[in-house]
Amino acid sequence: MIPLGRRRWAIPGGNIPPDSTGPEPRWTSFDELCVLNAGDGEASVAITIYYEDREPVGPYKIRIAGRRVRQLRLNDLIDPEAIPLGTAYACVVESSVPVVVQFVRQDTGRAENAALGLMGYPDDGTG
Amino acid sequence: MTGPADAAPHPRVPAPGGPARSLMTLNGTAGQEWRNWSGSLRFTPGKMAYPGDEGEVIELVRQARANGKKVRPVGTGHSSSPIVNTDGLLISAERMKGLSAYDRERMEATLGPGMAMKEAGDALLGIGMAFPNQGDVNVQRVIGAISTGTHGTGRGLHRLSSMLVGGRLVTADGSVLEFGEGDGHRLLRAVRLSLGALGIFTSITLRLMPACILHRQEWCTTFDLSRERLEDLERVDRRSDFYWYPRSDRVKLRTWSPPGEEPDIPRAKVVKEATGWSGDTLSRERSIRYEEMEYEMPEDEGMECFEEVRERMMAHHRRDVGWRVLVRTVAADDTFLSQSYGRPTVVISIHHNASLPYWGFFQDIEEIFLEHHGRPHWAKKHSLTAERLRPLYPQWGRFISVRRDLDPEGLFLNPYLRSLLGEEA
Repeated sequence: MIPLGRRRWAIPGGNIPPDSTGPEPRWTSFDELCVLNAGDGEASVAITIYYEDREPVGPYKIRIAGRRVRQLRLNDLIDPEAIPLGTAYACVVESSVPVVVQFVRQDTGRAENAALGLMGYPDDGTG
Repeated sequence: MTGPADAAPHPRVPAPGGPARSLMTLNGTAGQEWRNWSGSLRFTPGKMAYPGDEGEVIELVRQARANGKKVRPVGTGHSSSPIVNTDGLLISAERMKGLSAYDRERMEATLGPGMAMKEAGDALLGIGMAFPNQGDVNVQRVIGAISTGTHGTGRGLHRLSSMLVGGRLVTADGSVLEFGEGDGHRLLRAVRLSLGALGIFTSITLRLMPACILHRQEWCTTFDLSRERLEDLERVDRRSDFYWYPRSDRVKLRTWSPPGEEPDIPRAKVVKEATGWSGDTLSRERSIRYEEMEYEMPEDEGMECFEEVRERMMAHHRRDVGWRVLVRTVAADDTFLSQSYGRPTVVISIHHNASLPYWGFFQDIEEIFLEHHGRPHWAKKHSLTAERLRPLYPQWGRFISVRRDLDPEGLFLNPYLRSLLGEEA
């Protein structure tokens, strides 16, 4: 399989909704990264979290086997630090091999649930 | 209350003679900052020493006493309460290692106190023995884990202190105290969990179990689906515990079973499993740094307490706290300062990243633990001092009596231990 995607991605609009309604974990509000590794080799991924008022935190390290996808709730990350809910943040994803990164948010804070999915910004290294 | 046997002088063994000790060993290192595993405790001891045998320990204790210095023993620094802090002499047992004797019929082995849990477990495996239980991590020194009341999980299984059945202790006057089961257990019941306040161990004899294979299974489910099952797991005599995740209400059950005797847990999915020697499957190595508060509640209040903790965290703390809560069980014992003295317990541990503010969260949850008659882990974060600890321990006075007998001048006390034990200077 020809590698698909980029090695660096940025998602500036992170903000995990603090409230949830409905049975959990199905209806927990979350921010999620969906990472597709369409190539043959394993991807070693490092995530760095940027905040408005303090230094970046990271790396959060994950691995994704070749020809696999991983959907990672950012709410669940604790190593090196939990990301506070209801707080503006951005994340930069750096991978050892090309991957495709999508960002998904589910907000169940009100009865009218909302979900959105956006592609991350792929950096091709020319900027 | 102190019985006549407690007041009787304890048998002493004359200190051995021997060659002059090396100046470097006895002088140790000075002026170096010590920090614990999580980074929340830092201090600079007057001196740090690494004796290699009992004779060197005796000489160090006598020198410190003659110079008016306090003495504290230290392990690998996995504790996060300031029980080791001192500006005097800090003694590490890390050079006193090795398996010196064993008895397969009695299932007992004698070890140097400086061995780490993993290291000792490997040595015991070589003679067909294993720790009856052990904690979630295995980096502590055996004697540190014993002395602070560290435990594993399993309703019928005792904490690590209970496996101590004898040994040798250098006491404040520089003499050696041999202890064992032959003295009516009174001294043993104090020594087993003594926070380094009675002396420096130079040898420990442990009652163990035959080495065995266990099948570890990790089951994922949700709190609502597993509520009844969680209560069952806390009632049956099985090695089991569970994690609860505050940001998803998920639950991870862990069970350790002899192969072929695994449980069937409906509506839960095995996500990870391993089969191996008990020591390798009971503990795991962890690199992440965290702070921890842990209390042990009477068994019949345990799940109610957990449900209150869960509700409080969901309502007030999960904005900042992503760490899971760990729930375990421990059998009752008769060690004076044991958190499970006289009652089987349910143990609830809360955690937070060491790099983030944790104390407000811990204090809020501590209120729930105390409402349920909890006793804190001696080596983890808590806010109690003697005034509130004393009523929680029916044999408190007997431990204090033994301590005063062995160390009337408080050589092994630091200011934190004085406030903890109510032994003001």
